[in-house]
Amino acid sequence: MIAASAATVLYVYGIVGADAADDVEREVASAALGQTPRLLRAGSLAALVSEVPLAEFGADVLPERLNDRDWLEERVQAHEDVLEAALARTTVIPFRFGAIYHGNGDVARMLGERRRELEEALERVRGRVELGVKAYVDRQLLEERLRSASREASSEGAGAGRAYLLGRQAERRVVAEADEACAAAIAEAHERLSAIAVDARVNRPQPRELSGRPEQMLLNGAYLVERGDSRIESEVESLRTAYRGLGIAFELTGPWPPYNFVDDEEAAA
Amino acid sequence: MSVTERRSLQEEITLLDLVDRVLNAGVVLHGDITLSVAGVDLVYVGLRVLLASVGTLEELEARSER
Repeated sequence: MIAASAATVLYVYGIVGADAADDVEREVASAALGQTPRLLRAGSLAALVSEVPLAEFGADVLPERLNDRDWLEERVQAHEDVLEAALARTTVIPFRFGAIYHGNGDVARMLGERRRELEEALERVRGRVELGVKAYVDRQLLEERLRSASREASSEGAGAGRAYLLGRQAERRVVAEADEACAAAIAEAHERLSAIAVDARVNRPQPRELSGRPEQMLLNGAYLVERGDSRIESEVESLRTAYRGLGIAFELTGPWPPYNFVDDEEAAA
Repeated sequence: MSVTERRSLQEEITLLDLVDRVLNAGVVLHGDITLSVAGVDLVYVGLRVLLASVGTLEELEARSER
């Protein structure tokens, strides 16, 4: 028996096609990663795996580890770095963080048992990458713009009392109009981006407490595109131009491994 | 070395962007193989991580902002 402190388990980052395994192996070996993963081949598939200490990844300690920001950042970054290195060479099926197996045999068995499902996922995303588009609204700026527009429309010739009431009415209208403008903006943006993308997902907007940004996130979208397709980039640029005046900003991230397009069970989760 | 330096399109990748994907998306294979390491059933680790991440992040950000 190995002493518990030295025990390791296998961490699976994701899957690539076995045909690209040699290529990926060379890439990850030269990518100066914190930890060089190896490829575990089984049939048509190959898993990117690393030995990790059981002392860090055991089910009993993992929840606690996730509360350690430094640990979390390092491990989440390592997960992403490995998959991105592989993504530079081939199509990648990213696993969610924390897929832990006891040993080579367990990973090989998993690849065997889930072969069809994983092959189908690989086909769905073959040659494709994920792009992220987030939209934020500067609510104060938006309301100011709407307020000055309505002031121009109706400012003349009322007494003080009446002006006060009209002012309150106008203010309520501004808030409602701002809500509508935000809803319309994200609907239009998502529709335009989805029309270009092979597939699209809308995720929950990241809450302000977590994003640390003063603006409210309106859209947290993921778009699956052919690698090298720059149309989303152009579309985001055009959305930026269209919505800048309303205080709505767009951010593009990626290319990411297609995290949002590989799990059929996602909807049920 | 960091993700930020290697990306082509992005303006700003935060830990939150990473966590949003790495912890909240990707293939989860649970319920298929019963993994038992050190007597602990790890089948639902992925799920636990998902659940844990919400509370984790709230705590993280609260700490980092103050």
